[in-house]
Amino acid sequence: MPSTKRYWQDLAQLDQAADVIKGREHEFQAPTPLEEVLGDRSFQGASTDRRDFLKFLGFGLGAATLAACETPVVKSIPYVNKPEEIVPGVANWYASTYYDGNDFASILVKTREARPIHIKGNPRHGLNRDPQLDKGSINSRINSSVLSLYDSMRLQGPKKRDGENWTNAGWSEADDAISGQLATIAGQGGRIVLLTPTVISPSIVAAFTAFKAKYATAEHVQYDPISYHGVTTANMRSFGRRAMPGYDLTQADVVVGVDCDFLSSWGNTTEHTWQYARRRRPSDAGMSKHIQFEARMSLTGANADERTAIKPSEVTNIVISLHDHVAKATGGAAVGGTDASCDAATAHAAENLLKARGRSVVLCGSNNADVQVLVNSINMMLGNYGTTIDLDNASNLFQGDDAAVAQLVKDLEAGRVGALLIAGVNPAYTLPETEAFKAGLAKTGLTVSFSGYADETASLCGWILPDHHYLESWNDFNPKPGHYAVAQPTINPLYSTRAWGESLTRWCGQYINWHDHVKGVWRARLEAQGGNADERWYQAVHDGVLVGFVNAPGAVTFAGDVNAAAAAAKASVQGAGEWELQVYTSEAIGDGSHANNPWLQEMPDPITKLTWDNALLMAPADVERLGLNRYIGQEHPASVCKVAVNGVEVELPVLAAPGQKAGTLAVALGYGRGANGEAVGRAACLRDDDGKPMPVGRNAYPFTVRSGGAVSYDVLSVSVTPTGATYPLALTQTHLTDMERHSVVKETTFATWAKHDSQHTYNPPHLLAVHEDVNGDGLINALDKKPVTQIDLWEEHPVEGVGHRWGLSIDLNSCIGCGACVTACNSENNIPVVGKDEVRRSREMHWLRIDRYFNSDMTKARAAEESVGTIAMYTAMERPAENPRVVFMPVMCQHCNHAPCETVCPVAATTHSNEGLNQMSYNRCIGTRYCANNCPYKVRRFNWFNYVTEKFGQVNPAWDEVGRMVLNPDVTVRARGVIEKCSLCVQSIQAGKFAAKKAGRPVKDGDIETACSAACGAGAIIFGDLNDTNSRVRNLSQDERSYHMLEELGVKPNVNYLAKVRNTEAEEAHHA
Amino acid sequence: MQHEAAIREPLILGHKTYGDITHDIVAPIENKAPRGWYVLMTIASLIAAYGTGCILYLISKGVGVWGLNKTVDWAWDITNFVWWVGIGHAGTLISAVLLLFRQRWRMAINRSAEAMTIFAVIMAATFPGIHMGRIWMAYWVFPLPNQFGSLWVNFNSPLLWDVFAISTYFSVSLVFWYIGLIPDFATIRDKVTKPGMKKLYSILSFGWTGNAKAWTRFEEVSLVLAGIATPLVFSVHSVVSFDFATSVIPGWHTTIFPPYFVSGAVFSGFAMVQTLLLVMRKVMKLESYITIKHVEYMNIVIIVTGSIVGVAYITELFMSWYSGVEYESYAFINRATGPYWWAYWSMMTCNVISPQVFWFKKLRTNLAFTFFMSIVVNVGMWFERFVIIVTSLHRDFLPSSWTLFHPTWVDAGVFIGTIGIFFTLYLLFARYFPVVALNEMKSILKTSGESYKQRAETHHH
Repeated sequence: MPSTKRYWQDLAQLDQAADVIKGREHEFQAPTPLEEVLGDRSFQGASTDRRDFLKFLGFGLGAATLAACETPVVKSIPYVNKPEEIVPGVANWYASTYYDGNDFASILVKTREARPIHIKGNPRHGLNRDPQLDKGSINSRINSSVLSLYDSMRLQGPKKRDGENWTNAGWSEADDAISGQLATIAGQGGRIVLLTPTVISPSIVAAFTAFKAKYATAEHVQYDPISYHGVTTANMRSFGRRAMPGYDLTQADVVVGVDCDFLSSWGNTTEHTWQYARRRRPSDAGMSKHIQFEARMSLTGANADERTAIKPSEVTNIVISLHDHVAKATGGAAVGGTDASCDAATAHAAENLLKARGRSVVLCGSNNADVQVLVNSINMMLGNYGTTIDLDNASNLFQGDDAAVAQLVKDLEAGRVGALLIAGVNPAYTLPETEAFKAGLAKTGLTVSFSGYADETASLCGWILPDHHYLESWNDFNPKPGHYAVAQPTINPLYSTRAWGESLTRWCGQYINWHDHVKGVWRARLEAQGGNADERWYQAVHDGVLVGFVNAPGAVTFAGDVNAAAAAAKASVQGAGEWELQVYTSEAIGDGSHANNPWLQEMPDPITKLTWDNALLMAPADVERLGLNRYIGQEHPASVCKVAVNGVEVELPVLAAPGQKAGTLAVALGYGRGANGEAVGRAACLRDDDGKPMPVGRNAYPFTVRSGGAVSYDVLSVSVTPTGATYPLALTQTHLTDMERHSVVKETTFATWAKHDSQHTYNPPHLLAVHEDVNGDGLINALDKKPVTQIDLWEEHPVEGVGHRWGLSIDLNSCIGCGACVTACNSENNIPVVGKDEVRRSREMHWLRIDRYFNSDMTKARAAEESVGTIAMYTAMERPAENPRVVFMPVMCQHCNHAPCETVCPVAATTHSNEGLNQMSYNRCIGTRYCANNCPYKVRRFNWFNYVTEKFGQVNPAWDEVGRMVLNPDVTVRARGVIEKCSLCVQSIQAGKFAAKKAGRPVKDGDIETACSAACGAGAIIFGDLNDTNSRVRNLSQDERSYHMLEELGVKPNVNYLAKVRNTEAEEAHHA
Repeated sequence: MQHEAAIREPLILGHKTYGDITHDIVAPIENKAPRGWYVLMTIASLIAAYGTGCILYLISKGVGVWGLNKTVDWAWDITNFVWWVGIGHAGTLISAVLLLFRQRWRMAINRSAEAMTIFAVIMAATFPGIHMGRIWMAYWVFPLPNQFGSLWVNFNSPLLWDVFAISTYFSVSLVFWYIGLIPDFATIRDKVTKPGMKKLYSILSFGWTGNAKAWTRFEEVSLVLAGIATPLVFSVHSVVSFDFATSVIPGWHTTIFPPYFVSGAVFSGFAMVQTLLLVMRKVMKLESYITIKHVEYMNIVIIVTGSIVGVAYITELFMSWYSGVEYESYAFINRATGPYWWAYWSMMTCNVISPQVFWFKKLRTNLAFTFFMSIVVNVGMWFERFVIIVTSLHRDFLPSSWTLFHPTWVDAGVFIGTIGIFFTLYLLFARYFPVVALNEMKSILKTSGESYKQRAETHHH
């Protein structure tokens, strides 16, 4: 046998056929005439020489490239950097605009490698920008909206109903079918209704005008799920203008809010926020005074200097009483009926308002036109029109017409509508009469939804033609006269989606893409104004905003009938029962269109700190009276109650909410989506282990009622029955009060602050007795004390005055507690979303949290006065006051110069940088968690599990292959078993230093912003270099209000806080 | 030959000869184990297997399967660690400190107490390992030369001091224990007849010949090791207490911790020795060697250390008030009256109040009662560590972060599992190792043996 095996390719090889052997030597059997060609002398004289050859090559390449470009290149202009192309590793920022029917804001979109990953307010332009601070105010709903772009449950193309099933359709198929049907319907005189939220886009208006020209029976109904119909109607009745006025809170010395959450959900909140915050910073010129009347402790009420808890049915009384007090002083007509029950409080409010005539504002959140007429009258008597209230530049937002919507539902039900086109609203979920609407929808011949999801409404339509996410689309807005904004796409559409305005234009036979349409509308307008239209368009795209004329304020004449309004208003609150219920929109979820966003679901509610649920808010006293669970914790679930009214029954977990008026209840809207299994988005409706839908929270829209032509969010009589069941709730903060810990929270009153003696009043330094003669009396005794800031246990890090020392200054007065910084931090730093069960176990991963403290009636001073024992005192301190004062305190890593975490890590995984940062080396961390235990601020977070696994796949964007596109490539996604915490956005610091170095200059104050400081339009969080003597943060750290949290520990944080100042004389703030 | 006063009670009861001692102690190794051993072994190894399963589950899923959270980052894990380390202390105290003080009664119990030490330290060392987020990087706590740059351990960290303290303690205890075993292994080697066992014990006895020179050296080494081990009795638990004492957390940041922890450790260690020996002397029929007198002595140690611990508790309370520090004072009020009041008062009852009954001779010489009390003390000492760790952490400086700790089944499974592993190891020791230092016992037979004492007495008269 042969010792080696042989293998043959074929039998011919085995046979060793001669031709095969020969053939194998020449791979190419026909000889290549290379030699001949190259050797041919005649070629040298040919006309194609080397240069021509290169020309042909260039042309060929260019032609091939052009031919490969199917879609025309649309120019988007980068904002900060203007690179010729995308530079990998360098972020491009694009100006754009956010508008969803509720919130309007000019924004900057951060893109990395052509992916939008972060959103902040536009610091140079826009209604939401504070021109003094150069910051754009946004809320968490806006900066989290980048995540919903990467929702894998978005529809990936047009869908057509086929009986019970859906089939994928092509765009042209849809266009042909729908425009054909529309023509037939219009031809037969059938009504074609376009249902949208308030449209403020000139381009949409132009598109609809063209649409109406083609289909004469087309009509447009604007429907705001959160209705302002009462307000606009009242302005119609009072001033002949159906609009929301513009407000200027920077002019308001006194703000009185009546059931009006104007910082969180009422009106253009992004504009209100910075205006309000500016006047909350105490200065020798004063600070604004804010008095609030409300049932539920709202974000706005939590910021008020004085707050009175009232029932929703008492709003009328309060407004009438306030009206008459003001009328008495200004010589106006009293409407009668001042109710003694609220007289003291309204008299006090009126007194303050009257002291600030023309510099005050009364805001009322009621959607009752009669109440709003009275409010208009109050503001009129106070002379606030033209100063704090601007009717001549009234807002274009919130023009929804409840009467038209109610009529539409009736018409649908009666089968009087031929076609219904729905864009941007979800009436099957939000309407008070959803069943009627659904029945009507089934009777309508053509139903088209432009929703990006097969949601509650879209899933009932005949067609779904998914709209772009707003970050993929061009758009324009005109939120108020003379103010125009542009939204530009920051990414190519991920799926086969189309701007819904383009669908309208296509159906009128114009084959023009949406960008060209928008630009065309603008060009026509700009050309009419003269100048270089193109240049101004590009400038507008670059800035995101184009400001034209502003109307001069004219004379305002009040023409409302206050007596009739008062009588009608009083009549409307008849029949109030034992329990009054108010439904509201929460800070995180809004009207429910954001329910699919895991960042927002996990963002704790500013007041209740509840995540992943809505609950029935009830006064703690009522909770106890009904014998329900008051303390909610990991193993302490909430009691469930059934709330019933008019045949609507909803079972809700009860959450004791300090500040809630006894006898009133509140439930947040926007939850309980996808209850019938609709694909409403990834986080809005989770699936249990069997794949069954598990809606997050319960839908409260069924509680809304139509009253006096407008949708009312107050239900004056409901019944509450405990079911005996329990339901777990996930709170990020289970303890309610601050336990009067003065080294944590310092607060005072404006009068005390104005004495400018903080050292001896509200902000005394912590002193420690030392063994040296400090006071120079020749003796060393207990009187010799030094401030703890001058004492070091460890050797100091050489950071003082050397290089940079980064730090933050946080103003407890400007902070309104909205939580925009929390979600901005989530977005910038790839914070994992861990879901309800982990939050319930106190394991949320947020690097930045906002501590919310209520005050208690029990204080140390009171305990001493009343001889209350220490144990009893502390027990009493755990209970908040019935109508507590609230402090919001953003807490992140304090970057201590003597960090307790650094000394205890056995492997030196957390260390101090030479720029004052406390750094975390994830790679080195072995996860002993000693640092987290030893952190007095409890800001360190541990990766208890690998959060990038299927277990967390439903909630954590990093698990999903589409969702993970939102991750910031500059920040590591942390592994299981390591500690993480705030890095002061070290990636932004490095980028800022690098940019300054490239420009050959030192880093300037304001060059670098952390995600939280950039997100805070209220200017409560200021970042900068503490070694830069001119920096804002340095100046603030030397402010008389400045203090370090837990200063007596001597850990020397680089984060300082400015003490809270309340503009109230009612009660001296407890530490003064 | 030394003489012992007649007033001292005999330490070896019955008319034992040298041969009897050898026989009594080697008998369980030579013969078939009693039924009770098999029963106990089955139970212990089942629990051990369950515990091992829980540990593997923990390592595969992550520390999140425990009930820890962002505020309470240590709970049962470090409670168990400190508890096991504490238990270990009695062994070293008995074998080293009592040797230096020439307490002869220690000879009957030092072997098994030392075995207990070693197994307890093994159990203790498990917890800092498995509580790590990334146990596969655990070797980074050792100052090993590496190529990760100039990465070195942090010598400021009390956890690192723990690493050194525990590893030193474990190695010294192991060597000390084994050196003591060598002559006894040689005795077994000489006595057993089965070739396999003979071979095994011959290897274990390191060729011990028993000549005078060997015995001299044996005694010298024992003394030297006792000298080394003695400071460890005090240092190990002092260092463990530094984990807490050097921190900033109210309730941890206390200078009283080192002595308080050491006395607590001895307290719990003696209780565990009682638990083990009271069962063993019955099952292994060692009543002649481990006498009521031994039990009584140990109960006296328990009452002394228990009282020291009680004083420490009260001192802590006093200091929290006297310091005038708001956070410190709240931490202790919260311990006694907050959500974990039941843990605090369990600790107080078990550790401070209940050992005081040992002032009654009748009770401290009652075996059943002693056994009951030994369990009570160990329950109390577990609660002590739980109280220190969890109640301090769950409400520290910022009320916003206050929360509760709720253990999971894995918390319980791992803890009970380590008890199972511990008893499995201890039962194996009792079956195959000489549980009493038989050669040392022989050295006191003529001075402290009952029959010799009686004979000496009659001889004098």
